[in-house]
Amino acid sequence: MTRLFRAFGAPLASVILLLSGVWILGLIAAPQLIMIEQSLWRMERPEGSAEISVQIDGLYNRLDVIGLDRSAAESETDAAKRETELAALAAEEAAIKAEIAVLEEKESTPVKAYTLDNFGQLGSAHLAIFAKTIVASLAVSAIALVVCYPIAYAVAKLETPRTAAAIMLALVIPYAINELLRIFAWQMILNNNGPANALLGLLGFDPVPFLDSGAGVFVAMVYAYILFMVFPLYNVLETLDSNQVEAARDLGASTWQIHRRVVIPHARPGIAVGCIMTFMLSAGSYAVPYIMTRGTAAPWFTQLIYNRFFEATNWNVGAAYALSLLAVCTVFIFLMMRLLKVSLKDIAK
Amino acid sequence: MTGQTTGKAIELEQAAVHFGSFQAVHPTNLRIEPGEFFSILGPSGCGKTTLLRLLSGFLDPTGGDVRIGGKSMVGIDPSIRPTALIFQNLALFPLMTICENVAFGLEMRGWTKAKRRARAEELLATVALSDHAGKMPAQLSGGQKQRVAIARALAVEPSVLLLDEPLSALDLKLRQHMRAELKQIQARTGITFVYITHDQGEALTMSNRVAVMNRGRIMQTGTPDDVYDRPDSAFVATFVGEMNAVDGKVVTALDRVALVETPLGRFRAANPKGLGPGDEAILFVRPEKMRLLNAGEDEDNSIAARVTRRDMEGAWSTVVAQAEGRELRLHLPHSGRDTPPSGEVTLGFSADAGVILPKGEMSDD
Repeated sequence: MTRLFRAFGAPLASVILLLSGVWILGLIAAPQLIMIEQSLWRMERPEGSAEISVQIDGLYNRLDVIGLDRSAAESETDAAKRETELAALAAEEAAIKAEIAVLEEKESTPVKAYTLDNFGQLGSAHLAIFAKTIVASLAVSAIALVVCYPIAYAVAKLETPRTAAAIMLALVIPYAINELLRIFAWQMILNNNGPANALLGLLGFDPVPFLDSGAGVFVAMVYAYILFMVFPLYNVLETLDSNQVEAARDLGASTWQIHRRVVIPHARPGIAVGCIMTFMLSAGSYAVPYIMTRGTAAPWFTQLIYNRFFEATNWNVGAAYALSLLAVCTVFIFLMMRLLKVSLKDIAK
Repeated sequence: MTGQTTGKAIELEQAAVHFGSFQAVHPTNLRIEPGEFFSILGPSGCGKTTLLRLLSGFLDPTGGDVRIGGKSMVGIDPSIRPTALIFQNLALFPLMTICENVAFGLEMRGWTKAKRRARAEELLATVALSDHAGKMPAQLSGGQKQRVAIARALAVEPSVLLLDEPLSALDLKLRQHMRAELKQIQARTGITFVYITHDQGEALTMSNRVAVMNRGRIMQTGTPDDVYDRPDSAFVATFVGEMNAVDGKVVTALDRVALVETPLGRFRAANPKGLGPGDEAILFVRPEKMRLLNAGEDEDNSIAARVTRRDMEGAWSTVVAQAEGRELRLHLPHSGRDTPPSGEVTLGFSADAGVILPKGEMSDD
């Protein structure tokens, strides 16, 4: 910290510290902490509310009985006696009404209770969707990796700078368009009456239900997140010394061996970053599965979370679901780093 | 080394390379003998690396033929050529241990783990790196990396070892040491070495023969003595070693010696290219073949000059003198007892010390 002050002077250093603090608190800590807190409680009806209900029911019965008593008392001929009985009944009625009010107040005021039950709401049906989302996101990452690796390698190592720049531009241009529009476009392409099926029809195939089968989600996701795989791969492959590829070839390596022993080991940090990004984006995507399936295929887990919040209006369970997803994503990050023997330092590069 | 590897001959027949309209290597004929230490010497951009890529297989000739051991190599992939290449930056695999690096070629040939490990350790022992087998390349010094690269290339038992300025990154002492080591390895294995360099010291000390290249052409091929003592072009004369050069015109020419008229006077010198009277020519004299003449001493050629500077080089000193506005250099053996020359002097050289060559491009370094 003294180094910071020495390098930038007190005013600038203070600003930097302040901004870092705001960043850490506001962008990292606060949202997570609020979500965690939200997921850990629920509103509960108070202790013994069942007995209270019975009690209240009893009291209402008693009120009816008093009503009967009152009509009996009103037919009393002795005016003095009638007055006393009516007064006594009125007093009793007032007391019971007051008691009911207290009990009802007690019964209906829920109590905030801390519990882990929200996480337990993840029943087997939801758990299956959760698992499907994770597996599907892994598949999207894998497909993106397989598609992007050759592209990134070609751009970084094989093409002339001019061609490489043109390919990169072609990759970036679609991203100038709003994500929703792009997804809607794919929805139309893969529609039963869309151009993809029209083409298949020309070739004599029956229409393929791309959207209803859920395959459309994969296509749109790979398309939507491909850049997040290409760029980390390209960056890391560009730093590979071409002489190493030639040295391996000179020593007798086949193309496959060159990639397995030289290029892929070098690309590990890029592969890790690309996989982590596409996985997180896919697992956390709401719009793509929503638009692409139109409710015809099983939902994505993010849709469940959305529903907890805005349809079941149970924010606590929603928060618990969201945290479960976050936990799995975090585990995935560390798993990828472990698997590819990549440290945080490599990823930061 | 096991010694069963033997070098193969390399033949270039009208081999040429052009990239678009740029002729990187003009049609070239060259034969390198089996087991020869052959250097290709030239300034950067002269086409020597292109020539090397032609031999290693990363480039195919756009014309002519390349043969190794009598077989045409055109269209043969580098991975199956009987050559191994040592890169200028060595190109060791940074994520593999030294042992894995050396065993890489054997791994690619499907050797078992135990077998290739044993062979790699054997090779590391011959380059005195046994203790470093488990280290990563980044943990080694420049000279050690150099030896790993050599061991890695030798592991695949090539018939031809191609070296692309592998010593240029080392400091002077280490470079001299590695020269001796390379020469030794070459003698021991009998492999044909093709050594690319722009450093004439390396080429002259290590090679059996040297080819001097300029602008995509081999200017002269010969033993180190040949190219140093008997250059046959202005470029070779000036690129290899130091040279005094004076341009002029041939006056009379006999069988072996000619008389040339220059701004510094008339000189007699060897005429290997058979120039005739009236031909534009340049007279070349090595600084160590120039002498200081004593008063009244007679010599085939003499020049009056004025000493302007003396540079002490250790074993000798370089005296720089001016004559008619031209700079002349001579090397004097350093005895430590003589008084350094100064003022007006007479320089001289014998007729067989100078050489008259046709006017042509000279090296500017």
